[in-house]
Amino acid sequence: MSTLGPVELEILRNALGAAAAEMDVTVWRTSRSTVVRELLDYSTAIFDRDGYNVAQSARIPQHLNSMSTGLLTVVREHLPLDQWQEGDVVITNDPYCGGQHIPDILAFRPVFVAGTRVAIVGTLCHHLDMGGMAAGSYAATATEIFQEGLRIPPLKLVRGGALNTDLLAMMKQNVRRPDMLWGDLQAQLASLAVGEANIRRLAERVGAEKLVEACARILDGSERAMRAMIGRIPDGRYAFEDFLDDDGITDAPIRVHAAVTVRGEEMEVDLSGCGPQALGPVNATLASSGSAVSYAIMAIADQEIPPNAGCYRPITVIAPEGSIVHARHPAPVANRIAVGHRLATTLLGALHQAVPGRVPAAYYGVSYVCSFQTIGEAGERGVLVEIEVGGTGAHADADGLSAYTYGMHNNSNIPAEMIESELPLTLTGYGLLDGSGGAGRQRGGLGLFREWRIDCPEAVFTANGERFRHAPYGLEGGEPGALGHLWLIRDGARQALGSKVNNLRLKRGDIIRLETSGGGGYGLPQDRPAALQAMDRRLRYVPG
Amino acid sequence: MPDPAASPAPHIRIGIDIGGTFTDLQILDERSGALHSLKTPTTPEDPSIGLMTGLRDAATRFRFTLSDIRLLLHGTTIATNAVLERRLPQGVLLTTAGFEDVLEIGRHTRRDIYGLKPRHEPPLIARDCRLGVAERMRADGSAEMPLDLGQVAPMLARIDALGAQVVAICLLNAHVNAAHEQALAEAIQAARPALPVCLSSEISPEIREYERSSTTVLNALLMPVVGAYLDRLRARMAEAGLAARLLLVQSNGGVCSPEMAARQPARLLLSGPSGGALATLRMAQALGRPNLLGVDMGGTSFDICVVREGAVTQMTQGEIDLLPVRLPMIEIRTIGSGGGSIAMVDAAGRLRVGPRSAGSRPGPVCYGRGGVEPAVTDANLALGRLDPRFFLGGAMALDRAAAEAAIGERIGTKLGLESAAAAEGILAVTDTSLAAAARLSLFEKGLDPRAFSLLSFGGAGGLHAIPVAEELGVPEVIFPADASTFSAFGILHSDIVHDLARSRVLPASTESLPHVTGALAELRAQGDALLAADGVPEAERHLGVSADLRYRGQAFELVVPWPEGMELPALLEAFHALHAQRFSYANREAPVELVALRVTATGRLPRAMVHRTAGAGADRAPEPRGVWLKGAWREVPVYQREQLGGPVQGPALIEEEYTTIYLAEGWRCAPGAEGTLVAQRIAEGTAA
Repeated sequence: MSTLGPVELEILRNALGAAAAEMDVTVWRTSRSTVVRELLDYSTAIFDRDGYNVAQSARIPQHLNSMSTGLLTVVREHLPLDQWQEGDVVITNDPYCGGQHIPDILAFRPVFVAGTRVAIVGTLCHHLDMGGMAAGSYAATATEIFQEGLRIPPLKLVRGGALNTDLLAMMKQNVRRPDMLWGDLQAQLASLAVGEANIRRLAERVGAEKLVEACARILDGSERAMRAMIGRIPDGRYAFEDFLDDDGITDAPIRVHAAVTVRGEEMEVDLSGCGPQALGPVNATLASSGSAVSYAIMAIADQEIPPNAGCYRPITVIAPEGSIVHARHPAPVANRIAVGHRLATTLLGALHQAVPGRVPAAYYGVSYVCSFQTIGEAGERGVLVEIEVGGTGAHADADGLSAYTYGMHNNSNIPAEMIESELPLTLTGYGLLDGSGGAGRQRGGLGLFREWRIDCPEAVFTANGERFRHAPYGLEGGEPGALGHLWLIRDGARQALGSKVNNLRLKRGDIIRLETSGGGGYGLPQDRPAALQAMDRRLRYVPG
Repeated sequence: MPDPAASPAPHIRIGIDIGGTFTDLQILDERSGALHSLKTPTTPEDPSIGLMTGLRDAATRFRFTLSDIRLLLHGTTIATNAVLERRLPQGVLLTTAGFEDVLEIGRHTRRDIYGLKPRHEPPLIARDCRLGVAERMRADGSAEMPLDLGQVAPMLARIDALGAQVVAICLLNAHVNAAHEQALAEAIQAARPALPVCLSSEISPEIREYERSSTTVLNALLMPVVGAYLDRLRARMAEAGLAARLLLVQSNGGVCSPEMAARQPARLLLSGPSGGALATLRMAQALGRPNLLGVDMGGTSFDICVVREGAVTQMTQGEIDLLPVRLPMIEIRTIGSGGGSIAMVDAAGRLRVGPRSAGSRPGPVCYGRGGVEPAVTDANLALGRLDPRFFLGGAMALDRAAAEAAIGERIGTKLGLESAAAAEGILAVTDTSLAAAARLSLFEKGLDPRAFSLLSFGGAGGLHAIPVAEELGVPEVIFPADASTFSAFGILHSDIVHDLARSRVLPASTESLPHVTGALAELRAQGDALLAADGVPEAERHLGVSADLRYRGQAFELVVPWPEGMELPALLEAFHALHAQRFSYANREAPVELVALRVTATGRLPRAMVHRTAGAGADRAPEPRGVWLKGAWREVPVYQREQLGGPVQGPALIEEEYTTIYLAEGWRCAPGAEGTLVAQRIAEGTAA
C-alpha cells in the first residue's frame, strides 16, 4: 500500500539529505581537534529504523557506506535494537565490532516518535588519539590490536538522556589528550541531537508511517537503479590482481585479488584470492573492505544513483576470515586505508574488463603519510603530519590528472608558508615530477616531489608509503606510472629510504625528499597524437 | 555637448547592474529624491553598448540630459565572464625556483568524492609560462638567498618569446617581505615599460602561497581585459557628452575608481551578487530589521546573504570556477535554482529540478523560443500564478498551453500525475531545496531562522518567498519596491571601499605589539591616502581595523574587529567570545596567533533622500483568476501592487511590472515603509 506520492517522496528524500548536512555542519562547528575540523575526517548519516543508511554526508570515500555495516554489526551481534531506548547514544570504535580502526568512534542515536523507533542517526569521527603504543593510535610496528589503543565495545555513552560518566572517565584515563577526546565526543553528541530533532520534526509533519515508508522506498529506488546498472553490464567473471609492497614489518609483497561475477542484475565479489592477514597493521576488517568494494562499484555507475544501503543489496562479498581484507582478531588494522586503496585499484581493474571505457588506469593508490617531530635548541617539540598524493590514471579519452587527490581518501596539503612560519622546517621544493605519468595514448597524471629541510638540531621522521615496488598499472597497452621514492639527502649525498620509515633521527641540514607515484597510461603510447606529444614535451610533462 | 549654462548642475545618480539577460538601472534625482528604475537588454559582446542604451532611454523617459548625470555606479560581470569563458590573455608567472608548479598542484581536496572523472580545468598559466626565480625569503622576512638581477635579462627574452601580455609575480613569503617582488618588477618595468606587472604582495599580501598565486594570476590576466573595457566605456561616455564620475562595484560591496579597477580587477570578480547584499543591508537599516535574510531569485540562480545585527556577513576568500580568490568579499551562498531551472524525471524515476537552466535562450517552454523542457516559470504559469499577458509588464506574451503540455508530457506522464499536480510538484521540490539552502546559511553560523525576516527580490523571488519562509519557520517576508532592479538600488547607495591587509604569523601577545602598531600605522596611512586620492573629504573617511586570529595549531582564522583604543586583552577576549559563538567553545588558556591585520578604508558618498514613484501598470485593474492550490483550482484575487492601500489576506496574487508575489493562505500582507510590502504569518487561531 503506497500512500506517498512521487513529489512527497522526493521532498522527504531531500529533507533527509538536508538533515545529514546539518549534522555535518554541527560536527564541524563544535569539534575541537584539527583532525576533525581541518582534515574533515568525519561523516554523518541517517539510517532507517533497522539500521540501513538512507542519507549521508560523507566527505571521505573510506567512510562511505561503512557506517551502515558497522551499525548492523552492532545491533545483530552485540546490542539488539530492542535494548535501544529513547535518549540513548551507543558508541564503539572496535574494529572487531563493526568499526574500521581504533581512532574512528562511531556514535548512534535512535529517534523515537510516540514511543516508536522511526530512524537512527549516526556520526563517525576520527579522534586525535585513542591511546596505544604510538601517538595518534597509528603505530606502524604494531602486531596486535591491543597495541593500537583503547577498544570500546558497543556501549551506551548516554542512557535515556543521562551521560554514562563511568564510561567517559575510563576512556579519558586511557588517551593522550582527554580534553580533545571529550571535545570531539561532544561534537558527535551535538550532531546526533540536531539529527534527532530534524527527523522528529519531519516525522511530526508528515506522520511517522510516511517517514518509515519513505525510507523503504528510497532504499528500494536505489536498489532498483543499482540492479538496472548491473543488468547493463555483460554477464561474466572478471578477475584482477594488484599488490601492496609490504606490511612494514616483513618484506614480502601482499596480494590483493578480486574476482567479480556478474549474473543478471547481481554481482558477486570474491576476495578469496587475497593474501593472508599481515603481521603489521596493513589489514582491514570486513566493514573497511566493504566500503572499498562499494566505492569501486558505485564509481562505475553510468547513471547517478543516490548512495544508500539499497545499493549494496545486489552485491555479495566473499572474504574469508584471516585474510588481509577480513582480518581475524587480534590482527592490527591501523593502516587499513592502504588495503582500501589497493582494493579499489584491484576492483576497478576487474571492472574495466566488464565495462571497458568507463574505468581509468590505476591512480597512485596510497596515502603518502609523512610526519616530522622537530626538537629545538631548548628541547621544544613541534609536529607536522602531511598526507601527499600522486597522479591519477588516464581515461580512454582523457589524460590523468597530476597531483590530484583521488580514490579512497580526500585531504588537502599544507601551505609551505604555514609550515615555515610555525616550525623549524624549510620547504626546498614542491613540484610535479617530469615523466612520472604512465605513457599511453592518454597519459597518466604526474606524481609530485616535496622536500623538507630540517632547520633545528634534531628531528624524528616517520613515513607510511606504498607503490615503491608495485607501480600503478596502465590499461589497454598503456604503461604503468612511475614508482614512488623517499630519499634522505645528507651532506650532499642521496640515500634511498624504504616506503615505511619508523622514527628515523634527522639532524640540521638534512633534507627528506618524497617522490610520489604517477598514474597509469591508457592505450598504446605510439597511438598518442603528435600534437599531444608535442604538448607533453613543451610543458615538460615528459622529459626531452 | 549641451550648453552648461542651460543645464542645472549635475544631479542624477545612477546605479547600474549588468546581468546575463538584463541591464538594470536605478535612477535617483538627488535634488528631488525621485527614484526610477528601468531595464534594458544586456549586450554580451560589449556590455557598455547596453549600458549606454539604458542611460539614453532613462534620460528620455525620466526627462534629464546625459550631462545631468553626476555619479555612475557600475556593477559589472566583465571580469567574471572573462574567467568563466577563459577569454584571457597570455601571461607569465614568476615564482620562487622549485615552486613553479604550486599553481598547478593546488590544495588537493576534491568536491565530487565518487566521480572517476572529476571536472578539472588546466591552470590559467601553463607550465612552460611559469618561470622560476633564484631567490628565497624566509617566513621571518629575512633573505636566505638574495635576488640576483642578472637573471632578469634571460627571463625577459623568455617572456618575449612566449608573447606574454602581462606578468604575474608570486614569490614565497612575499607577504612578509616584498623586496624581491618589488626589485624584480622594477627591473622588468624598466626594460619593458608597456608590459603590465602584478605583484602578489600588492593584490593579496596574505599567507598561503597557492591562494595568493591564484589571486595574483587572476588579477594579472584580468588587467588587460578590464582595462580595455573601461577604455571603451569611457570613450563611449565622452562621445555622449557624459562627464559623470564613474565608480565600479567590488566583491566587498564597496565601489572603487576605474583606475583602481584596472589595476586590481580581481576585486570585481565576485561582485555580481554584492549589489543585492548591499540593498539588503540598506533595507535592514531603513526598516529597523537588524536580522535579515536576503534572497535573490533570478532566472538561473538563488543567492542568499545574511545581515546579522545590522552588518552583512563577509568572508576573506571566495572562489570562481574552483579557483580561489583571496580577497575580502560579501558572503553569498548560491544554488543553481531559478525561474529557468529545468525540471526532469531522471532514470531512477526521481523528480529533479535544476541545476540545469534554460537560461533566457531558449528559455522556459512558455517563452516560445524553442525550449522544450519545462522550467520553474512554466510550472508557475501552468498553475495560474503568473499572468501570461502581464509578464515583464506585458512586454512578452507567454504560451500557457505549451507549458502545460510540456509539464504533462515530460513530468506528469512519467510520475503518473496530472499536469497540474506535476507542476505543483515542481514548485514543491524547488521551494524545499531553496529553504534547505537558506536554512544552512543560518545554521552554519548558529543562527535561528525565527529571529530573522526574509527579504525577497529578483524577478522570480516573489512567487517562492512565502513558501520558503513557511518551510524555514521565518515569520515575516518583506518585498522591496522594484524587486527586479533591487541590486541596482543597492549599488546606488554604495560607498568607496579599499581593503588592505598585512599578513605575518605572530603570537598575539605584547611582545608583538611594536610590529603590529607599526604595520597598522602603515596600513592606515595607505588607506587614508587612497581615500584622499579618490577625493573623499576627511570628514567622510573611516578606517576600520580588524585582526585575523586563531588558536595556535588551527588552520583557519576568525576575523575580529579591532576598534580604535581597544587594548590587546580586550581584543583577545573578543576573539574567545566569537570563537565560542561560532564553534561552541573557547580556550582561554591556549596561545592565540595573529595571522593578518586588515584595514577597511571607507569613503562615504553623500546620502540622498529617496522618494519613490509608481511604476508602469499602476492604472491596471487585474481580475481574479483561477489558481491551483493544494490539489484544486480556486478563484484568487489579484491586486496591482501600486494600488494596494491596506492589508490583504492570502491566498492572493500581487502583481507589478517585473514580478508577481504569491501570498499563500495563512499570510497577511500590507504596505510598509520605504515602498515595501510586508507579509506576516497570521498567528494560529486568529485567521479571519
